[in-house]
Amino acid sequence: MDSILEVKNVSKRFGGVEALRDVSLEVKRGSITGLIGPNGSGKSTLFNVITGFYKPDSGSIFFEGKRIDGLNPNEIYDMGIARTFQTPRLFGSLTTLENMMLSPKGQRGESLLRAPFRKMWINEELQIANEVGALLKEFDMDGLYKMAASDLSGGHVKIVETSKGILGRAKLILLDEPTAGVHYAVGRSLFEHIAYLRKTYNLTFFIIEHRIDLLFDYVDYVYVLHLGRLLSQGTPDEVALDPKVIEAYIGGA
Amino acid sequence: MLDILSFLSSWLPIFCIYAILALCLNMEVGYAGMANFGLVAFYGIGAFVAGYTSMTVFLSFYGYDYPIYSLEAIIAMGKIAEKTPWLNVSVFILSLALAFLISGLAGYLVSFPTLRVGPAFLGITILSFGEMFRVFMKHFQPTGGSYGLLGIPHPFAWVSDPLTKNTLFIVISLAILISVFVYFELLANSPYGRVLKSIREDEVASLCLGKHVPRIKAEILFVASGISGVAGALYAFYLGSVTPDMFVTAVTFEVWSMVILGGRGNNLGAILGASIFTLLSRATSILSFVFLDLLIDPNYIRWMITGVLIVVTLMYKPKGILEEGPVKTKAWKIFGENGRGQARVMAAILKAGKYLKSALYWLIGRETK
Repeated sequence: MDSILEVKNVSKRFGGVEALRDVSLEVKRGSITGLIGPNGSGKSTLFNVITGFYKPDSGSIFFEGKRIDGLNPNEIYDMGIARTFQTPRLFGSLTTLENMMLSPKGQRGESLLRAPFRKMWINEELQIANEVGALLKEFDMDGLYKMAASDLSGGHVKIVETSKGILGRAKLILLDEPTAGVHYAVGRSLFEHIAYLRKTYNLTFFIIEHRIDLLFDYVDYVYVLHLGRLLSQGTPDEVALDPKVIEAYIGGA
Repeated sequence: MLDILSFLSSWLPIFCIYAILALCLNMEVGYAGMANFGLVAFYGIGAFVAGYTSMTVFLSFYGYDYPIYSLEAIIAMGKIAEKTPWLNVSVFILSLALAFLISGLAGYLVSFPTLRVGPAFLGITILSFGEMFRVFMKHFQPTGGSYGLLGIPHPFAWVSDPLTKNTLFIVISLAILISVFVYFELLANSPYGRVLKSIREDEVASLCLGKHVPRIKAEILFVASGISGVAGALYAFYLGSVTPDMFVTAVTFEVWSMVILGGRGNNLGAILGASIFTLLSRATSILSFVFLDLLIDPNYIRWMITGVLIVVTLMYKPKGILEEGPVKTKAWKIFGENGRGQARVMAAILKAGKYLKSALYWLIGRETK
């Protein structure tokens, strides 16, 4: 397996705080890779650096061999990296269908000049709608297509968030705490869903998660961040037994 | 009894102008979520561009070289305004086009320092831009300073019958209003409109879906400001004069109240709001003519009614009279549904069936639930 994402010696400071210090890691294509660490260890900062919200102070990031640090978030999405946020950020007053139809990139009808001429984009639009319809059916959500996203249940919101990337032809999906705020059983079915998506659509997932018990059942490889530094890495079994990790989580003497 | 025809001829031009402004503001606020508190600046720029262009062209065409704000120029305009119909009409069209371009450009330029900061900053920056524009124009001699421009040639000045003249102007204004409405409806019900709504809901999430948010906002500011400029140009031609003090911040907030009352994110709502508030202002100004010995001038009561209307709207119908609908791109056809219409018809049929059933049961003497 080759690597789809490579982070090389990335550092990021906010004033006096060193949020990331010389972090290097790689995500293998087709894997589910986990990123864990105590609060404030720099996990979300790393995601924000990868997706272009922050520019790294030093270091470089490669996606499929192309350098992506310094690009804008929308350009990074266009390259094939989709992300979710800690708190779900669906467009509340838009319907489920509209939310999902926003994902495909480079839609012809999304230009100011073409938008008034329905003929120029209606075929593409119907094709995307078909795709969304099939996807919703796959997740048993086709009855909810015209419900406002703010009315969806927490579990459905998470499913829509994690699956939207498929429509945008994303290759790598970064999930920031996908199971935060949902019941354990829902969290497990969400991870089943993620594993299903990886298999069916050949996706790669890079997941921040605090529910380590859930995460370790599904990931192939885990990175541990602590105080902005990479503390440990390995398969779930290796990491779980690493005394440094236990010390960082529980606190050593 | 009031003369309906003369009422309409005094109401419709103002209605058209405000409806166009409300549509533009609705595009910015209702769809793209940009708090434009400085709409009046672009409206004013359009008005001054139209006044300046038309008077300059007329005076130079007839070989006068008075400054356009001078008394001689105003007197000369009175003589030449009705001599050459083709010049009136072409200057009108040229002025509208220039007003669109220059106001639009101003909106586009204002977008640069404001788009990357939060919505509140955008609002305050544009608000102060609007006020700065007014103060600047008061001291800008080429357009007559605080006296403004007088004697802007009416596009149909060559028509001798005043009623026909006014009717022609109303027809043109209505045509512009309708085309702006159709254009905005097409924009709103396209993938582009969907992106606008996503920006309003959550800018960051929209950026994360690959949408070029700053560019799209700048585009909308260009289009909406440009069309506000066209409304300003219409206003200048309708009144025949422009002064800087016509463009106070209160105008912006009047248009805001139209959008709030009519319904944000609904183009018909914007027009409805505009018609309610312009009717109200007509009504109160007529009242102040009819009842001269009132304690309070009805024109002031109008502002009170405006305030009460907004509070009542926000309390009982916070989304406005006409609520925002889904983006109609026909994508839902995929789900084997023909939109709301069909669902409503089906519900009506089912209901009728239920009544029929209970009637039948009643006829044959059986109890129903």
